[in-house]
Amino acid sequence: MIMQRRPFAKAGSSMILMVGLALALTALHIAPASAEPTSSAAGAVVYFHSPLDGARVPQRFTVKIGLKEMGVAPAGVVKEFTGHHHLLIDTDMVPLDQPIPSDYNHIHLGNGQTETVLTLPAGTHTLQLLLGDHLHVPHKPPVMSKKITIYVR
Amino acid sequence: MYRIFFRVCLIIIATITLDPHIEATAQQPAAARAPSPPNARVFFIGLNDGATIPSKTKLRFGVENMEIVAAGVAKPNTGHHHLLIDTGLPPLDQPIPSDFNHIHFGGGQTETEITLPAGEHTLQLLFGDQAHTPHQPPVFSEVIHVKVDPVTVEKTRTPAPAGASVFLIEPADGATVARKVTVKFGLSGMELSPAGTNKPNSGHHHLLIDTPLPAFDREIPSDLNHVHFGRAQTETEVTLTPGDHTLQLLLGDHEHLPHDPPIFSKVIRIHVADSPAEKAPPAAAAAAGRRPAPPDAAVYFIYPSNGERIYPNSTIRFGLRGMGVAPAGVVKPNTGHHHLLIDVETPPLDQPLPSDLSHIHFGNGQTEKKITLSPGEHTLQLILADEKHTPHDPPVISERIKVTVKVKPVRKRHRR
Repeated sequence: MIMQRRPFAKAGSSMILMVGLALALTALHIAPASAEPTSSAAGAVVYFHSPLDGARVPQRFTVKIGLKEMGVAPAGVVKEFTGHHHLLIDTDMVPLDQPIPSDYNHIHLGNGQTETVLTLPAGTHTLQLLLGDHLHVPHKPPVMSKKITIYVR
Repeated sequence: MYRIFFRVCLIIIATITLDPHIEATAQQPAAARAPSPPNARVFFIGLNDGATIPSKTKLRFGVENMEIVAAGVAKPNTGHHHLLIDTGLPPLDQPIPSDFNHIHFGGGQTETEITLPAGEHTLQLLFGDQAHTPHQPPVFSEVIHVKVDPVTVEKTRTPAPAGASVFLIEPADGATVARKVTVKFGLSGMELSPAGTNKPNSGHHHLLIDTPLPAFDREIPSDLNHVHFGRAQTETEVTLTPGDHTLQLLLGDHEHLPHDPPIFSKVIRIHVADSPAEKAPPAAAAAAGRRPAPPDAAVYFIYPSNGERIYPNSTIRFGLRGMGVAPAGVVKPNTGHHHLLIDVETPPLDQPLPSDLSHIHFGNGQTEKKITLSPGEHTLQLILADEKHTPHDPPVISERIKVTVKVKPVRKRHRR
């Protein structure tokens, strides 16, 4: 039996585009770019507990996120010096004055999660963390981790 | 002149001696090996060491200064290819084995198509004579390391029978419901089986809440929008925020992969009412009872671990699996905030946690805290609690770990 399957990249990219567009539109509706940025606490740092930069990981692995000097709150909760995590996968830093997009490359942990399980294809990937406020907009100054590189085996 | 004559003689002798031995090679593995010219070499065409290749790959073999003939044909300076996969060179004075790792091309083929599983592999070519024995000196290629891109591995999606379908029995499309909704799943034409059970024509439900269908060629994600029912449940109770929501079912196989063709229900839209009459009962229930926690939720120490020796000033880091962090006072399903218990027994879990120096509240949603402990042994424990500091049901509680605080190294001897 021969199975006809579209290559992964093709199916993936159109999906990402569609989801990305849809969510970007919704996000823009909810929060106009003119909203006042939320300020972050002095000395706030977001970082990876795991994996660490340069780590070799299996295809399914858990990302654990640490946050210093600030608290975690689900999206939509307005509270000073809190925010929720966004995991940026294989992508560059987003514009910092707009809501963070939501797609396969920008994972929102909107329920206040501090860890998540990722499944990535084998190869080299980059991960970066960015804290967003109740409207998914990065704080001012932004609280972001350094971009780490991992090797999925 | 003499040398050439000698060589021709040798080849003739070798040919003569080898010819009758074709049948007898098995009994006499140490039979004379066919000579190879000194500049003979075999190699892969268009494949470099360290290359990443698709799972199904066409390999092409090249040879220089020798000729390819089918196995069994005795002719000087000839031989046929053998492909060694994930194995070192076999003993060079015996016929090359024939198995999955040693592939013979006795028909004189110079290319082949192989299928390799995902991961790293080694490939090597070894030339063999008419009796599959390497030449003297042996002619083999360098070892090529290749990496098979798992994306190209055809993961077999479990086939689904024609006419199979999933559907939502409850609630109805367009229904207005209370915040706590009972969702009932229906399945026809297939059987339910728990995740991990590989049984034909079966699968388990996945409820997609407010999310489009995921990609069908990989595992269905597991998060708050993609709820797995890996124990083959046929109904669940979800708590939704007031407003409009969508629900959809998607069947997954034993590996949480959608079937081929995928079996999913149509999207239904429901409206969750926000009338005060409906708000009152949950509030009353919360006052009396405890907030539910998902069964796989867990809270644990990222640092330190049980039995560890730590400094008096250490940052204690909290980990939380399967739930989210929300500041105190925020009412949201599947969230809570951390409480660190120092040197105390586990308190009663059906009432709000006390707030004192031994019960530290992290009502701002913090996930780590630098604390100062006196030298000696201490116990630490984490408990997640809801917006009113009451532990969930079942409680999300870590093990009670023991740490030893190091006495700061005092170098009195050197300070005299």
